[in-house]
Amino acid sequence: MKGFEPKIVGFLCNWCSYEGADAAGRARKSYPANLRVVKVMCSGRTDPQFILQAFKVGADGVLILGCHPGDCHYKEGNLQTLKRYAVLKEMLPQLGIESERLRLDWISASEGDKFAQVVSDMVEQVRQLGPLVRPS
Amino acid sequence: MSKKQKIAFYWCSSCGGCEESVIDLGQDILKVAGAVEIVFWPVAMDFKYADLAAIHDNEIAVTLINGSIRTDEQEHMAKVLRKKSKLLMAHGSCAHLGGIVGLANFFEAAEVLGRSYKEVPSVHNPQGVLPQKKKVESGRELTLPGFHDTVRTLDQTVPVDYYIPGCPPTPELVKDAIMMVLEDRLPPRGSVLADRKALCETCPRRDSRPDKVKISALRRVYEIEWDPHRCFLDQGIICLGPATRGGCMARCIQANMPCRGCFGPTDNVLDQGAKCVSFLAAILDSTDEEELQTMAKAIPDPAGLFYRYSLPSSLLRRKVSIW
Amino acid sequence: MGTGAMRPRERIGVYICECGPNIKEAVHIDDVVHFAQGLEDVIFAKVFGLLCSSEGKELIARDIKAQKLTRVVIAACSPKEHEMTFRQALEKGGLNPFLLQMANIREQCAWVIDDKDLATEKSKAMIAAAIQRVVYHEPLETREITCQADVLVVGAGVAGISAALALAQKRRKVYLVEKSPCIGGKVARYEEIFPHLECASCVLDPILDEVLHHDHIEVLTLSEPQEALGFYGNFVVKVHKKARYINAETCIGCGACVEVCPVKVANEYNEGLDERKAVYIPYAGALPNVAVIDWEHCLRGQGEACHACKEACPFGCVDYEEKDQILALKVGAIVLATGFDIFDPRKAPQYGYGEIEGIYTSLEFERLLSSTGPTEGQLLLKNGTPPHNIALVHCVGSRTSRFYTHCSGVCCMYSLKFAHQAMEKLPGVSIKEFYSDLCLWGKESQGFFNRVSQENGIELMRMQGPDAIEMVEKDGHILIKYTDVCGAVQETPSDMVVLAPAMEGATGAQQLAEIFDISQGKEGFFVEEHATVAPVSTARDGVFLAGCARGPEDIPGSVTEGQAAAGAILSRLIPGEKLALEPMTAELDEGLCSGCKICVGLCPYRAITYDDIRKRITINEVLCRGCGVCPAACPSGAIKAHHFTDMEICAEIEGLFQEALDR
Repeated sequence: MKGFEPKIVGFLCNWCSYEGADAAGRARKSYPANLRVVKVMCSGRTDPQFILQAFKVGADGVLILGCHPGDCHYKEGNLQTLKRYAVLKEMLPQLGIESERLRLDWISASEGDKFAQVVSDMVEQVRQLGPLVRPS
Repeated sequence: MSKKQKIAFYWCSSCGGCEESVIDLGQDILKVAGAVEIVFWPVAMDFKYADLAAIHDNEIAVTLINGSIRTDEQEHMAKVLRKKSKLLMAHGSCAHLGGIVGLANFFEAAEVLGRSYKEVPSVHNPQGVLPQKKKVESGRELTLPGFHDTVRTLDQTVPVDYYIPGCPPTPELVKDAIMMVLEDRLPPRGSVLADRKALCETCPRRDSRPDKVKISALRRVYEIEWDPHRCFLDQGIICLGPATRGGCMARCIQANMPCRGCFGPTDNVLDQGAKCVSFLAAILDSTDEEELQTMAKAIPDPAGLFYRYSLPSSLLRRKVSIW
Repeated sequence: MGTGAMRPRERIGVYICECGPNIKEAVHIDDVVHFAQGLEDVIFAKVFGLLCSSEGKELIARDIKAQKLTRVVIAACSPKEHEMTFRQALEKGGLNPFLLQMANIREQCAWVIDDKDLATEKSKAMIAAAIQRVVYHEPLETREITCQADVLVVGAGVAGISAALALAQKRRKVYLVEKSPCIGGKVARYEEIFPHLECASCVLDPILDEVLHHDHIEVLTLSEPQEALGFYGNFVVKVHKKARYINAETCIGCGACVEVCPVKVANEYNEGLDERKAVYIPYAGALPNVAVIDWEHCLRGQGEACHACKEACPFGCVDYEEKDQILALKVGAIVLATGFDIFDPRKAPQYGYGEIEGIYTSLEFERLLSSTGPTEGQLLLKNGTPPHNIALVHCVGSRTSRFYTHCSGVCCMYSLKFAHQAMEKLPGVSIKEFYSDLCLWGKESQGFFNRVSQENGIELMRMQGPDAIEMVEKDGHILIKYTDVCGAVQETPSDMVVLAPAMEGATGAQQLAEIFDISQGKEGFFVEEHATVAPVSTARDGVFLAGCARGPEDIPGSVTEGQAAAGAILSRLIPGEKLALEPMTAELDEGLCSGCKICVGLCPYRAITYDDIRKRITINEVLCRGCGVCPAACPSGAIKAHHFTDMEICAEIEGLFQEALDR
C-alpha cells in the first residue's frame, strides 16, 4: 500500500530496552519515526489489555521489548511476558490481528543498534501487512 | 390509577433464557407481580407498540432489557424504552456484555447472513435471496428491520443504569434487582448487581487450590476423570472463575463444570479476554518458548473461550477486518 | 469502565526544552508549542533553552506557585537523564514529584529522526500522551518502616567472620551461626596460604579469637537455620542449636575426656584420613577449644550406659542431659557465608580416586601437610614411606561439559602452593603439575608462579584439555596416562597424586536456598542479585552473600565480600532510623481480591503471600519492588501498580494517537 506509514506502539522496559532506545539516540542512530514508546518498569507489566488498547486506538503493530532472559532487572518478569505472548499469538488472529503485528524481542541497554534494527524490521513487516482497519 | 410501580420487560437479540430467569422466580413471581404493575412484557403477555406509545416518558419505574442489539428495531425499542423508563437495567449477559450472540462479532454481517440463508444444509434457497429491508409484494410494501454490522451491548446503544449479569442471571439476582428498586436501596448508578469479587471468592473448591498453581498440560473436561472437589485449574482444566465476577452461586461449579465467564469481568477490568490471557499464561509451567507455544496451541479457540460472553463489550468489540 | 470516562480536570504546565541546538534544530518547536497549547487542561506551553539549568528549574518552581499548576509535563531529554532533576524542581514548587511526566523528544525524536516534519509529528504525539497520562498521576509518598539492625551471619569461615567483625565494629549485634563445633571454616585447617605462604593459623587465630570474645558477636556453634520469615529489616529466623553435651563455658579443652572415650569413627576434620573419638576436639587448635560429644556415635546415644568421659573430666563439664534448642532470632539482615564443597572425583572414574591407593583430593592433601593433621605434617604414603614423586592434577571436574563448566579459580594457585610445600618437606622429591591452562590473575599470582615454577624438581606438564588424563594401577604404582598438547599419549608413573577438584556449592546449600528463598545455580552456588553490579545481595531483599557460597573465591575475595555485605547492611540498616521504601509499588484493593492465588507464584521477591484465614493475598510493601508483573496478571484488576496504573498507561496509549484523531 503506497503512502501507508504504520503506527507502532512499543512497550519498553525501564532497565534494558528503554536504555537501549536511549543508546540508539545517543549514537544518533536513525530509525523510522513510526514508533511510539510507552515506558513500563518491566516488560512483565505489559498487561494484554494494554496491547488490545493500542490496537484499539490506532496501532498497526505492537512491540514489546524487555531485558534478555536471565538479565531481567526483576529476575523473571520478562518470562511472564513471554508466557502471555505465546497465548496472545494464538488469540490475536481470531480477532483479525495477524500474529505478525505483535512482536516480542529482547534489547539490552547497550543494544542501540539492535533496537534500531528491530524497529525498522517491525515497521517494514507491518507496512507489508497494511493498515489495521477498525470497525467504525 | 394504581399506586404500584410500573415495570417493563423486553427482549432483543437473545435466546429467551433471561425471560426464563423471571419465570424461574416461581412462587416469588407472584410477590413481584403483586407489588408492581407490569406495563409491557411482549414475551409473556399480549402488548402492542401502541401500548408502549401510550406510556409517558419516565413513567416506567424500571425496564429490564435482555439481549444484545443487532437490528434497527432492537435499537429503536431500546431507545423508546429508555425514554419511557426512569431506570433501565441490562438484564443478562447479552444486554450486559454482548453474550453468546455477541460471538457473531467474530464474523462480518455478510458472512452471518450468507451462512444462515445460503449455506446451512437445511436451507433451500436456490436464488440465494437474503433478507431485504424493503420488498414490494403484490403491491404491498413489506419491511424488515435493518441488520447491523456489529452486535452491540445495550449500553453501547442507550445509557444503562444497572446491570444484572449472567447467562441467564439467577432468579435471585433478578428478584433482588427489582426489590432494590421497590425498596429504594440501589447502589451507585452503573453498578453490576452481583458480587464485587471474582467467582473464586465463593467457589466451593477454593480451599483445594494450592498456593502456586502450575499447569503443564491443558485438558478438556472429557479428556480426564476429574476430581469433583479439586480446583479445575489445578487439574489443568481451564476455568474462567478468577477472571469472572461472582454472584452466580457457583452454579456451574456445583454441577461439576468449570466457569465459562458469563458474569463478565470485575469492575476494574477493561477486557475480560485479555485478563484470561494474563492469568492463564501466569500459571503455565514453562519458560521455554517452544513449550509455551505447544501449550498455547492446546487451547481450543482461545478468543471464543475467553470472550465467550463479552466480545462486544471488549476493547476491540469485534474482529477487526482489512477492507 | 472505560478510559477517559471521567477524566479529572487539572492545571497542566507544559515545558518544551530546546536542549541547546539539540531539539531546537531537529523539531519545529513553535508548531509543537502551538499544538500543546490547544490540548485540554493545558494552562500554558512554553519553550526554554536549557530546562535542566538552574534558571530552568527555578522557572518551573516559580510557575507552579504563580499559575497554581497541579501537573507538569516536560518534553526534553530521556527521563533517565533528568527525571530526578525535574522531580526536585516540582518539590521546590510545592508539588508532589510524581505529578510530573516527561516526553523524551530528544533521544526518541530529535536524535533519531532525520526528517524535521516527522520528528515534529512524533514529538506532538509523545507530548499528547504525556498530558493524557499525567492527569491520572497520583501523589506518591516515600514511606518508611522501623527496622531491626541486628544481623544473622550463617557460616563462620573467613567470609562470615569478616562480615561479623565489620558489623560488630559498628556495634551491631551479630549472631554468627556455624553448623560445626568450631569456627574458622576450611581455612583454619590449612597449613599455609598463598601467595605469601603465611601460616594460616597465625593469620587467622587472632581474628577468630576476636570473634569469640567480641561483645557484639554471639557465636552459635552446632547451629543451623531452620526457617526464615519476614523481610528486610524485620526477619525472624529459627535456628536449631544442637546440644554440645559439654559446658563450653567451663571446658578448657584439656582432652581428658577424649582419651577415655571407647568409640572411634572416621574423622571428618581430617577428611576421613584418620579416626576420632565420639567425644572430641575437631583438631588441635580448633576454636573454641572445647570438646563436643557426637551423640550419633556416643554409646549413650545408642542407649548404653557409658559415662567414661563424665568420670574423666576434671572440671565436671559433661552434661548428658543437655537438650537441643530452637532459637528465634530477630534480625534485620542475613549474610549467607556457607562456603563450598568440592566435586567428588569418584564421579569421574578416570581419576582412579577411591579405587587406587595414593590418590588424594586437595582438601585431604591440605590435612596431610598440616601439623595438626593425621600425620602431623609429615608427607607419607600409606605404607609409611615418603613419596619420591607427586603428581598434581588440575581441573578435576572443572571446565568440562561432562561435569562443571566453570573454573574454580584458586586451584592453580594452591597446586603451586602444594608443589612448594611438598618440596620443602621432601627436598629432592619430583613434582609434576598436570594442567591445560593456568589461571593466574591478579597482582600476586604470576609472581608466585614464577617463583615456584623455578624451583628444582617441579615440572609443568601441559595436557591437551582439562580432562585429558587418566590414572591406572600398575604393579602397585599409579600410572598416569595423559594426552599432551601435541596430541601424543604419554605415560608416567607416580607414587602420589593430588587432585584439584572443582569447587561446588556446599552440601546443604539447597536446603538453605529453600529456607531463605533464594536461587541456586547449577553449580550449587547461590545466585546473586546481579552478577556485576549487585554481587553480594540476592533477589530476596535483606539476604546477602559472601565468599564461596556465592561462587569460587580465594581468601582475600571472601574477606572482601564479607566486608562488602557488612557495608551494604550498615549503610541501610541504621538503628533508630527507618527504612525508606520504594514508592512505586503494587497495592491490593482488598475489596476486589477473590483469593484466586494467581499472583502468589509470580513474585520473585516473595512479597505476595496468601492469608489462609482471610482468604486473600497480602502484598508486603517492604518487599515489593514495583515490577508490575502481579497487576498485569491479576484477573480481577485488584492490584494497582503505583505510577503505572492501568488508567495511566491506557490514557498514555490513547494520547499517542490523539494527534491523528484530531486531524
